[in-house]
Amino acid sequence: MTSGAKSRSAIQRPIKDVASALLSAGAVLVVFATLVFLALRILPGDPTTMMLGDESTHAERAELAARLGFDQPLIIQYGRFIAGLGRLDLGASLSHPGRSAFSCVSLAIRSTALLACISVVLGTFGGVGAALLCVGPWLGKRAAVVHGGVLLVAAVPMLALAPFATWVLAVKSSLVPLPGDPDHPIAGLLFAATLLALPLGAQVARIGRVALLEQRHALFLHTALAKGASSWRVWSVHALPVAAAPILVVVASQLGSLLGGAVVLERFFEQPGLGTLMLEAYAARDFPVLEAAIVAAGLLFVLVQVTTTGLTALLDPRGQRT
Amino acid sequence: MARRTRTILALLPLSLLSLACWATIFISHRSPGRYQVDLAWARPSVNHPLGCSDGGVDVATYTAFAVGYVAVLALVVALASSIFGTLLGTAATLLGNGTDRLLLRICDLVQAFPNFLLALAVLSAVQTPQRWHIALVLLLTTWAGFARLAIVLSRKLTTADFVVAARAYGCSSWSILVRHAVPHVMGPILVQIGTVGAGVVLSESALSFVGLGPADGISLGLLIEQGSVSMLHAPHVLAVAVVAVAATSGGFQLAAEGIRNWVQLEQGC
Repeated sequence: MTSGAKSRSAIQRPIKDVASALLSAGAVLVVFATLVFLALRILPGDPTTMMLGDESTHAERAELAARLGFDQPLIIQYGRFIAGLGRLDLGASLSHPGRSAFSCVSLAIRSTALLACISVVLGTFGGVGAALLCVGPWLGKRAAVVHGGVLLVAAVPMLALAPFATWVLAVKSSLVPLPGDPDHPIAGLLFAATLLALPLGAQVARIGRVALLEQRHALFLHTALAKGASSWRVWSVHALPVAAAPILVVVASQLGSLLGGAVVLERFFEQPGLGTLMLEAYAARDFPVLEAAIVAAGLLFVLVQVTTTGLTALLDPRGQRT
Repeated sequence: MARRTRTILALLPLSLLSLACWATIFISHRSPGRYQVDLAWARPSVNHPLGCSDGGVDVATYTAFAVGYVAVLALVVALASSIFGTLLGTAATLLGNGTDRLLLRICDLVQAFPNFLLALAVLSAVQTPQRWHIALVLLLTTWAGFARLAIVLSRKLTTADFVVAARAYGCSSWSILVRHAVPHVMGPILVQIGTVGAGVVLSESALSFVGLGPADGISLGLLIEQGSVSMLHAPHVLAVAVVAVAATSGGFQLAAEGIRNWVQLEQGC
C-alpha cells in the first residue's frame, strides 16, 4: 500500500512538473507573440511606409495596409494574429511571392535545429568529458590545466572567438573550409556547431566538475572502488548519474544564449537557418515571415525547456519545487 | 593590503582602456567616419598605427569611438537596470504576501528567454535603431537579474530589528526601502553591475554584427563584421576588432571581480 502510493507519487510528480512547465511555456509563448504583435503595430512608425519605402504613394500604402489587415481595429488584428498562429497561417510572405510565411520558416527551422542539436550534443559530451578529466585521477597535477582551459573558454566571448578561430584554422592552416564555402557544407556545419558548443561545454564542465567533486567522499564510490571497479568506472558509471540533473539544468539555462549565438554564427558562416531568415525578413520588412520566424524560435526554445524540465524531474525526484 | 592591491589591479584594465580611447580620440583628431578611399584596407603604418578599414577609415580612431560609446551604453544600461531592479526586488520582499514569489517567477521567465530574439522582435519595429533604442531593448531583460538578487538578499531584512524599529518610529515605506533596506543589499548588486556591463558590450556587438546596430554605424560589432569579410586580405582589422571586444567585455568582468573584492574588504570577511 505504502510502496504503491510512493511509486505513484514518483510518477505523478514529474507529470505535475511537466504540466506546470507546459503551462508557463504556453504563457511565455503567448506573452512573446503579443509582444511581437505590439512591437510591429504600436511602436511609432508606419509599418507600410517601412515596407514600401518613403517614396511610396498613399494609395500603395493603403492597398498594402488593407491586404495585411492593418486598417482593422487593433483588437481584431490581434484576434486574427492569434487565430493565425493557431492555424499556423500568418499569411503569404511579402518578399517570396507565392510562399506562405510558415513554409519559409519550417524550411529554415530544420537547419537551425540541426545546428543547435549538434552543438548541444558536442557541448554536453565535451563538457562532461572535461569535468571527468578535472576530477579523475588520470591527469594528476595536469587536471588543473584542463580546469584553467575550461575557465578561459568560458571567459572568452564567442563573438570574438569565432572569427579568430576561423582565421587561424581556415585562413592560416586551411584545416577547415572558409565560411560560406559551398563545396564543404558538412565540414562547415560541424565547425560552426563546434564553435557554438564551446561556451556551452565550458559551462557544463564548470558545473559538472563541482557536482562530481561533491560526490568525492560519497560512501557508494568508496564501496565501488573497494569492490575493484576501475577509477574510470567509478566516476562515469557511479558518480556521473548523480551529477546528471545539475548538468541538464545548465544545458537548459544555456539554450537561450545558444539560440542567440546560432543567429550570429549563421550570419558569420552564411548558413541557411532561422537566424538568416529572420535577418533577411528584417531587412526586407517582410513582417509575416518575421513574426512567424520569431514565434517559431520562441516555440523551439520553450519546447526544449519543457523537455529538460521533464527529464530533470525524472532524473532527480529530490529536486522538486512545490 | 594585498586585497586592496588586487582590487586596484582588477579595476586597472577598464580605466586604462578608457584612457587609451580618450587619448586616441584627442591625438588623432579624426572623425570616425572620415573616408580616404586611397587608403582602403591599408596595413598599419606610422600615420595609422592600427591600419585602415573599408574606405580608408582609420581603425584606431574608429575603435576608440566604438569602445567609448559601447562602454557608456553598458554603464547606462547597467546602472539604470540596477536602480530599477533593486528597488523593485526589495520593495516586493518588504511588501511580502507572495509578491516576492510572483516577481521571482517573472524574473525566471524574463531571464530564461533568449534576449537576442526579444531584441530582434522589438528592434524590427524601428526603422533605423538609435543607440537609446538598443539601450531600452537591453533594459527589458537586464533588470530581472538585479530584482532576483535583491529579493534573495533582502529576504532576511523583513524581520530585521532595524527595519522593525524604523517601522515603529513611523518611517514611511519609501524611506524604509531607500534608507534602510537598499543599502544592505548594495554589495552584490555592485558586482552584478559589472557583469551586466560585460553582457551589454557583447549584446550590442552581436546585434550590430548581424545588422541591428546603432544608426550612426559606430560599433565594435560592425568592425568584426568588416574584419571577417576582409579576413583574407586585411587581417589586422579583424585582430583589432576581436581584441577590442574581448578587452572591453573582459574589462567590465574584471571590474566586477575588483568590486567583489572591495565589498568583501568593506564587510571585513
